Amino acid sequence: MSGVRLYLSNDTSSCAAGAERLAEAWRQRSDVELVRTSSRGAFYLEPMVERDSPEGRLAWCHVTAEDLPKILAGDGGIPISTIPFLSKQTRHTFVSFGVTEPLSLEAYQAQGGLAGLRNARQGSPSAIIQEIKTSRLRGRGGAAFPVWKKWDVAATAQADRKYVVANADEGDAGTYCDRMIMEGDPFRLIEGMLICAMAIGAGAGYIYCRQEYPAATACLRAAIRAAGKAGWLESDGQPFTIEVVSGAGSYVCGEETALLESLEGKRGVVRARPPHPAQSGLYGRPTIVSNVLTFATIPNILARGGAWHASLGTEGSCGTIALQLGGRVKQPGLIEIPFGLTLREVLDQFGQGMADGARLKAVQVGGPLGSLFTDAQLDIPICFDAFAQADAILGHGGIVVFDDQTDMLELSRHLMAFVADESCGKCVPCRIGSLRAREILDAIQRGQATEADLSLLTELGDTMKATSLCGLGGRAPYPVLSALEHFPVEFRSRLRS
Amino acid sequence: MLGSMRYAVKTPLPNGLDELLTHARPAEGAPPNILRVLHAIHDVCGYIDPRFIPAIAQSQGVTEADVAGVLSYYPSLNTQPSGRHRIQVCLGESCLANRCDRVVAAIQSQLGIELGQTTSDSRFTLEPVACVGNCAVSPSVRIDGELHGRVRPSDVAGFLDRYR
Repeated sequence: MSGVRLYLSNDTSSCAAGAERLAEAWRQRSDVELVRTSSRGAFYLEPMVERDSPEGRLAWCHVTAEDLPKILAGDGGIPISTIPFLSKQTRHTFVSFGVTEPLSLEAYQAQGGLAGLRNARQGSPSAIIQEIKTSRLRGRGGAAFPVWKKWDVAATAQADRKYVVANADEGDAGTYCDRMIMEGDPFRLIEGMLICAMAIGAGAGYIYCRQEYPAATACLRAAIRAAGKAGWLESDGQPFTIEVVSGAGSYVCGEETALLESLEGKRGVVRARPPHPAQSGLYGRPTIVSNVLTFATIPNILARGGAWHASLGTEGSCGTIALQLGGRVKQPGLIEIPFGLTLREVLDQFGQGMADGARLKAVQVGGPLGSLFTDAQLDIPICFDAFAQADAILGHGGIVVFDDQTDMLELSRHLMAFVADESCGKCVPCRIGSLRAREILDAIQRGQATEADLSLLTELGDTMKATSLCGLGGRAPYPVLSALEHFPVEFRSRLRS
Repeated sequence: MLGSMRYAVKTPLPNGLDELLTHARPAEGAPPNILRVLHAIHDVCGYIDPRFIPAIAQSQGVTEADVAGVLSYYPSLNTQPSGRHRIQVCLGESCLANRCDRVVAAIQSQLGIELGQTTSDSRFTLEPVACVGNCAVSPSVRIDGELHGRVRPSDVAGFLDRYR
């Protein structure tokens, strides 16, 4: 193939923003060699086209098909290194994004891929777990549990079979970094799962991927085939199989025990714990269930050492965090930075403030179960401990910004209706509590509720927090009660007088 | 025994499903997997006719109640055929913040149906979806396999025209 080599992202969001239209328009041209890469994550600039130059890659942003002559002539491109949204980040897990072709094993290795696996193979299972312990990595799916502890439990458990399961049911609205990893750097996830399998002695792995991510599913399956063909899907001399299994639209299946039920083909209903999955998980066998991002963080730790990872971030939150900016900010996109910057700094430095004409009203961090922050609360450092102290969660790192046109009562009703729909029904506080809470919010909207109903809503929320079986019911009241706390007038002004 | 009689006599299986269910039978000693079979049928038919339940139960060695329970649990398993084109409007928080309600209203008024309904000519089914992970270029609308980002209400008529 000849022609000028142009790099264009193949990520779902880039395509939805117009990259696919560009690819269609230019595919037949002999003067263009299109390379479909992962996305840089600077989605506000998409569709973005890049080409090589002596100063590194140059980028053209918000490109239309008619811009091609300009790009071929080299007019107007800006060096990637001068885009502050990207240059201010600390990319480790997302280092290859926008650079490589997702399914090129060669490119993956050229970027340092498989170095972690090689190191893992040279040591014992306990040496791997020790490295993870040194790294002080905590799970990235939301629970923030020390990863090495889980692995240690599963490694010491006696069983005929053990499993490694990647939780790719990225259901929190406002999050998309797992999707990006699966579509953009699938070998990193596979390598992380394999290292885990070696550490605990597992022979099979599953990736439970939500059905809303068809491109991720296809990309993973292709990557697993390629890794198998290249001969590195083995653990302890035995073949390690990985299967991608599709979810079926249930949010609660992102909860690890519900996910395991669903993997077994049953209703995705939460299991009571203990036993924890590391002791008794899939088909009653020791199982490590971790989020995609957690597994994708592992290869670098084994390649560069646990101490390297522990040196990043804050005391209790080591390493980097992948934040996903969405909503009414000027620059939505993926940000990887060490823990410790404040929420305000992230919104200012990366989000560049609000979209044109919009004024900030509230920020929700951590998906539909995350607490709401007002402007006055944005100086909170982004780390697990500060968020826990504030009764908030980092969750999976989703940040959605709402503007002053947002009706907080309607948002609260929407969030509670979501939980009522998605509750698995196993425990009463969540199944009945979310329904009653939604009814109260409905009644407020209709102007039929009283002050007593507001008290009941608060009481109901406290009961759900204290007694629900899993995080769905336990966290559901937080956004609603934080909305009520910060924007009481929007609720009280609609009570029956 | 009862299951196999029903399977033979009453269950109306379209071509190919017999084979699919035989193929989906768990191996000796292996556990059943109801969701996997339901996915496979859904992929072929686009929905799961509840009349298939006895045959599915039989192929997996589980009760009909087990199958019905799984079928009714998962939101994306349809029990009725949908329209020729499936429109999914994302109602995730980033889409909400970016006024997806206006996009929904535009589609509804264009098609004359509500969320969850199919047009009378069976051309379009309009469904809500909780989040498609396209938050950075929201609001999002997926029509069949094609995902559209930064959708404005004024884009809707043009989109729909392409599927007529």
